[in-house]
Amino acid sequence: MKMTAVYQRKRRTASRWYNKLIKSPAWLLAFLVASAACLGTYVANGIFGRVHPSTTWGWGYGIAATVLFVGTLVYGLRRRLMRFRPGRTFHYLQFHVYGGTLFLLLVFMHTGFQVPHGVLTWWLWFFSLWIVLSGLVGVVLQKWIPTMLASDLNVEVNYDRIPDLTEELRERAETLASESGPELRRWYRRKLADGLDAPHFRPLCFVNASAGRSNLARQLEHLRRVLPAEQKEELDELEEIVSAKHDIDAHYTLQTPLRWWLVLHLPVGLLLIALIGLHIFTVLYY
Amino acid sequence: MADKRNKGYFGDGLLPVAKQYLYPSPRTSMVWIGGLAMVLVFGIFFYDASRRQGALVSNGPLSTHHATFGQDCSTCHTPFEEVTNDKCGTCHEKYGADLGRYSFESHYLYRTTDFSRLQSSPNEQSCATCHTEHQGRHVSLTDISDEQCLTCHEFGSFNTGHPEFEFVRDSLPDRGNLAFPHTVHVNEIMDRQELVDVQKSCLHCHNAKADGKSFKPIDFEKHCGSCHLTASTATPWIQTTDDPSSTPGVLRLKTIRAQSAPGTRWAYFSNPNEYQSRAGRVRKRPLYHEDQWILENLKQLRQAIYPSAELASLLKASADVPPGEATKLYKEALGTLREYAEELRAQPSRKVQQELRRVEKLLDVIERRLEDPLAPVDETRFVLSPAQLNPDLSEEQLSSYRETIDKLTQPCQTCHRVENATIARVQKEQDKLVRAGFNHGDHIIHTNCLDCHNQIPIQKYAAMDSTAPASKDRAAIFNLPAIDKCQSCHADGNAPNTCVSCHVFHPNKSRANLLRYVE
Repeated sequence: MKMTAVYQRKRRTASRWYNKLIKSPAWLLAFLVASAACLGTYVANGIFGRVHPSTTWGWGYGIAATVLFVGTLVYGLRRRLMRFRPGRTFHYLQFHVYGGTLFLLLVFMHTGFQVPHGVLTWWLWFFSLWIVLSGLVGVVLQKWIPTMLASDLNVEVNYDRIPDLTEELRERAETLASESGPELRRWYRRKLADGLDAPHFRPLCFVNASAGRSNLARQLEHLRRVLPAEQKEELDELEEIVSAKHDIDAHYTLQTPLRWWLVLHLPVGLLLIALIGLHIFTVLYY
Repeated sequence: MADKRNKGYFGDGLLPVAKQYLYPSPRTSMVWIGGLAMVLVFGIFFYDASRRQGALVSNGPLSTHHATFGQDCSTCHTPFEEVTNDKCGTCHEKYGADLGRYSFESHYLYRTTDFSRLQSSPNEQSCATCHTEHQGRHVSLTDISDEQCLTCHEFGSFNTGHPEFEFVRDSLPDRGNLAFPHTVHVNEIMDRQELVDVQKSCLHCHNAKADGKSFKPIDFEKHCGSCHLTASTATPWIQTTDDPSSTPGVLRLKTIRAQSAPGTRWAYFSNPNEYQSRAGRVRKRPLYHEDQWILENLKQLRQAIYPSAELASLLKASADVPPGEATKLYKEALGTLREYAEELRAQPSRKVQQELRRVEKLLDVIERRLEDPLAPVDETRFVLSPAQLNPDLSEEQLSSYRETIDKLTQPCQTCHRVENATIARVQKEQDKLVRAGFNHGDHIIHTNCLDCHNQIPIQKYAAMDSTAPASKDRAAIFNLPAIDKCQSCHADGNAPNTCVSCHVFHPNKSRANLLRYVE
């Protein structure tokens, strides 16, 4: 009975929207506490000292931001550290997300919530903002797109296989069309052939993964009424192919940003390492 | 139809299952992009450091005054060291100065002669800490935040922790040393000039300096002479004597001429008709401001009463100067000695001329020593005290001397105080705040003179036949408000209320004097 009650409670909370967005309340709480502590320190800094990167306070913010940044890099290296049994990926990812966001807060505190005047410092500030915002975009995409993919599509395909599967469907449809009667063949050439030739990016899928399917269904229904009876079986088969292609296009559309946001995130992270290194060197040198 | 190598179909049997396990695509290309970007960044900054003096790593443009130093970082920076004060001092400090103009020592001694304050504090900071560079071309380096000051001065903000003005807190008198009722003079000026606005009468005497910040010293000839010491003003009849050191009395003009004492060359140019003699007494009419005959006789009488106070005899007035301005007394005394020496120059005797050269060298040495801010300056040596009174004089003789002095200075006492046979020194300077600056020009467009200068009820008695009682209207009253008057406008979000709005850290406020080649 007790187990059932726990199970029911979990199920009830799981349906709430924020539970879909927040994987670990403990990490979120830790992040909020750390952020509040940082902001409290900053307020104390404003009262008892001068807000400037070159003060002891400012150095503290800068060093803390660097340490956090280096810490978030460990997530990317985790796969290479498997032999050391590094622990659950979940915690690495949570630290990567929350630590990265805290890193940006510390950068802002370091610069006194102002845009720096120097070229190097400006780029540092800009790329720090960029990498955290692109990371947060990635978090949102990873929460949102899998839900969309799982919502209304009949097939699930690997992104890397989409060109091959598209070609497979196209060949199958071409064969079917060439073996069918002239009406269906003509209709295929005029209405379907172009849509089957390659994966298509359909922005409407971001709103509704099955967008456009009802329009196709209406056309097929009309065609079914006017076609000779012997071609209706081939039309059904063609409808299945087109429907599968539609799902593949939805996957293609939704998975593309899921893959490509990383291009905006990862190289900039490496660039930021170089800029932070230069910044530390110049601060010590000058 | 199906490929034999396929492991099956999915999606209603339409799509073949992959022939082998598909590993996630590697991120090698992204690492390459990032790696190339890193190399590119290092390359650009290496080029910049070697060819363009590190313009890219600079934290921002230098201020306008230092803009040309941007061509060479080493002007200010030393590798792996902070920007040192010596680098700033290279341009800003004087050669060979014992005490840096911008040193903390100078700050400790600012407007004070208290050398006990010359103790280094652990809170002392470098120039660059307060004057933060690389903030942009148009950022002022003198806009210093309060936090910099509060590391030592624990006053909080201007509106919460600033101490009350010293003259209010300790009820200090204004050291103007004049008998001057404002209401009488304001009414007189308003009558004469037919003024309606009482504040215009203030400007009759308080004339702004060219910068509009403060006022020129009051000048007798310009501001007082039209009413005071007119042609009919005369001394009372005073007993004469040939030797004031033995008999109370004043010297007649011909006696002064005959004695040819130092500093009496004026006697040869004085009009004998201004002196009237009758039965061993003399009076002078008319009188002039700083009348030489009165001052000479006052000096002779003072020497009779205070024979050991030789330095005081070199001054025209008392040694009452604000703290930190004791060198003024020495300079005035030096000026008097130079005048004496100048009078000897006309004497052809070789011995006198040799002695004169020796004296002038000595005066030069003293003058140079006075330029040294660390030179011990003791103003008490000019002060006359009861202990210096001539012990050979009886009370009766002293009384007689004092009576003579009182008669001699009677016309002076309309405005001046006379104490210890000396006219009290008038503080001509109009700046009353000791440790802060005040810009009248900035304030007068927001308020009226009498809104702040309200301790003497000038407004109340203006254009009335009556004048304020002496208890409410005398020169000794500091006609300045308490700090709450300033705080009513200088609050957060209103007029500026930072420390540097009123105070300066470095003693020398003149920017022109801040560079080493400019005197």
